Amino acid sequence: MKKEIFESDIGESYVKAVHPSGLRIYILEKPQYTSSYAIFGTKYGSIDTCFAVNGEETAVPEGIAHFLEHKLFESEDGDAFTKYAATGAYANAFTSFDRTCYLFSCSDRFYDNLDILLSFVQSPYFTEQTVAKEQGIIGQEIRMYDDSPAWRVMFNMLMAMYHNHPVRIDIAGTVESIAKIDHNLLYRCYNTFYNPSNMFICIAGNVDTDKVLKQIEKRINPVDALEITRITSPEPEETVKPYVEQSLAVAQPMFCFGFKEKTENPTRTVKERICTALLLEIIAGDASPLYKRLVNEGLINDEFASEHFNGYGYSAVIFEGESSNPKRVAEEIKAEVERLKAEGIDKKLFSAVRCGMYGNAIRMFNSVESIAMQLVDCAMSDSGLFDDIKYLKSVTVEDVYRRLSLLDPEKAVLSVINPLKEN
Amino acid sequence: MSRKKTELAKGVEGLFVKNERFNTTLISCNFYLPLRRDTAALYALLPFILTSCSKRYPDFSRLNYKLNRLYGARLDASAEKYGDYQLLKMSVSVINDRFTLDGESLIKQAVDLLLGLIFEPNTENGAFCEDDLAREKRKAIEHIKGEYSEKRIYAKNRLVEEMFKDTPYGVPKCGTVEDVEKITGEALYSAWQKMLETAFVRLNVIGAAIPQGLFDSVSEKFSALSRESITDCRISQPTPERETPLTVTEGMDVSQGKLVMGFSCDMCGNDDETLPLMVMSDIFGGGPYSRLFANVREKLSLCYYCSSSVIRQKGLLTVESGVETANAEKAKEEILNQLEAVKKGEFTDFEFDSSIKSIRDSLCGYSDSQTSLDTWYTLKVNNTELYSPTDIAERIEKITREDVTAAAKGVKLNTVYKLLPKEVSK
Repeated sequence: MKKEIFESDIGESYVKAVHPSGLRIYILEKPQYTSSYAIFGTKYGSIDTCFAVNGEETAVPEGIAHFLEHKLFESEDGDAFTKYAATGAYANAFTSFDRTCYLFSCSDRFYDNLDILLSFVQSPYFTEQTVAKEQGIIGQEIRMYDDSPAWRVMFNMLMAMYHNHPVRIDIAGTVESIAKIDHNLLYRCYNTFYNPSNMFICIAGNVDTDKVLKQIEKRINPVDALEITRITSPEPEETVKPYVEQSLAVAQPMFCFGFKEKTENPTRTVKERICTALLLEIIAGDASPLYKRLVNEGLINDEFASEHFNGYGYSAVIFEGESSNPKRVAEEIKAEVERLKAEGIDKKLFSAVRCGMYGNAIRMFNSVESIAMQLVDCAMSDSGLFDDIKYLKSVTVEDVYRRLSLLDPEKAVLSVINPLKEN
Repeated sequence: MSRKKTELAKGVEGLFVKNERFNTTLISCNFYLPLRRDTAALYALLPFILTSCSKRYPDFSRLNYKLNRLYGARLDASAEKYGDYQLLKMSVSVINDRFTLDGESLIKQAVDLLLGLIFEPNTENGAFCEDDLAREKRKAIEHIKGEYSEKRIYAKNRLVEEMFKDTPYGVPKCGTVEDVEKITGEALYSAWQKMLETAFVRLNVIGAAIPQGLFDSVSEKFSALSRESITDCRISQPTPERETPLTVTEGMDVSQGKLVMGFSCDMCGNDDETLPLMVMSDIFGGGPYSRLFANVREKLSLCYYCSSSVIRQKGLLTVESGVETANAEKAKEEILNQLEAVKKGEFTDFEFDSSIKSIRDSLCGYSDSQTSLDTWYTLKVNNTELYSPTDIAERIEKITREDVTAAAKGVKLNTVYKLLPKEVSK
């Protein structure tokens, strides 16, 4: 296996290896730690509803990636959870917009657990009966999310922001869309996206790299690499509508306010990610003048947060929280963006938030879970684990100022969840 | 990983958990006070207002700026229940000095910052400042109301409220909206004094070394106060048995219902006595191998989630589940059937072994997380022996099937709380 070692000046290093099948493996050893965290993932998420393999196009029902995740835990020789129960590991899986990940964490019997993980992710077993049963369970999960205001406020915003990009669709799909899923479709998706060349394994913790690599080498089934093309309908720069609201059983209005951004390339670089993160702190971080004003005027509380929402072919900057007056908050954020464009960025604030972010990047290495998750990001975007720390040392206030120009108040969307009116 | 407890002043313990694997040092200051209806809101507001500003940093925005300058030092505050007591936590976590870019020392600054926040608040003439008070009161009220939006939390809170009506444990951990509204700057100032003078205090340090001068400073500060009667937080009243279980049903505009059940356990308190209960609850409704998951969720598809957990300080076992209205009664019956099965020892060796292994594996992982260790030792103030998570992991392995059935026999249904959908108002 091709192996590369990456070192840093903070006392951490990791190995990246590429299996002949194209599977990428990232391992960071933490010999002082008791536990380990492992993720076997694929670049396949809810947005992959239309794709082509060897020129043959396929469109699949919404929510199928998440459905497949649920079903993969069952193999012909039993359920993966039962196998993990014999070792005591904690196991789980998640599907997001652009990825599906299967994970475990343990403080004992790591190699047995890795065997279970490698085995069940490579052993699909879908039948008509098991698919029908899962439709009921996922239907209940979808209904649970219907009651979650935090989930609704976000997806309502995405539906108002995107015309065509599948990021606008709920990750689990709808009761109607999952009804169209059958075992043949699941196999087709599996055989496409669970090809090792589209997958990665990320591990952090008390492990021996060489031993892990040997085990993986032995256990990966040889399959020919595939060329997968993601087909997306062109997405206009404009939003669908600037405002959307819904009423649910909440005590106070909740909001999600985002700026839709133009994406030249489907993925973001380290520079883009760091500059965006710094910019968010400067616009509305807890040391910013805007944050102070909004708190003092009683418009936001500790729930207020911001994020750079991005993945394959989409990018947006989002502010969310609870407020008695979400429209005011949105106006204030827009005004602050305009003020910063006109007056420039306060150098002292820039230097303070950069210092804070540097510390957080160091802190991240405390947790094997965070490291493994970050390695997944590296695998998804083909970047390095120490890129952030390196770039944070050289980023300038001008770099961040240039990033500001991508925020266009004309392309902003406000989504609000209002309390229900009393009868 | 060694640990050392030091008496710093009357009713003030310093605990150092030496652990060199982290890039940061965590210092938490914990105050234990009685949980009472008339003081809950006052005490609960303290950790939040104290960590938002101080004499030195009267402006919260300047304080946040300073935290950034300290390489993203993290300041955390919480108010939780600890049995019949209120646990107020204020902590700071900072990266170790060897990581700073210009050789700056952060740890001393972080210690001074935390002590300044606790001991020198932004007050004037025996009262907290109006602006700070108004801001923190509003945030506290919004937080209390916010729990209504998260139905899972709301349902659990409502169960505890109904189940422990008119007793300390039934008091909401941050008081009620009305209680918060009534708080004055003067009243909060006296609550702050009372906290310093009467709380049992535990200072936890988790990292490579005790910051120089920390224990001496804390010792000095508390010794200067008149600490005559200190809260004894070692014993809470066990969850009482109820002859006929209480059932409370509420309607709300939701599409999925919640079913929460509370049980008394006939045991409560320290590690030695309650370990079998911990295993029992895990077999009953812990991991995916548990009776509730395998039967109520997987086999009968009666709910999307169904799990049990134990509050050992109170000897309280709760089962939480998400159900459709039509299935609520059936789910309840099935949960009780599974409890009966555990009582009769009708669980497989596989279920038993899986539980022991899972609890053991997770306990051994605690030493890899500073916040887990902090929480662990914060909840270990009533034990004579200060067991580490690894010590308990070893003891868990000695639990037998008989211990589990014996613990299960003491588990009795006390209260059922149902949150069910009503017709959505158009």
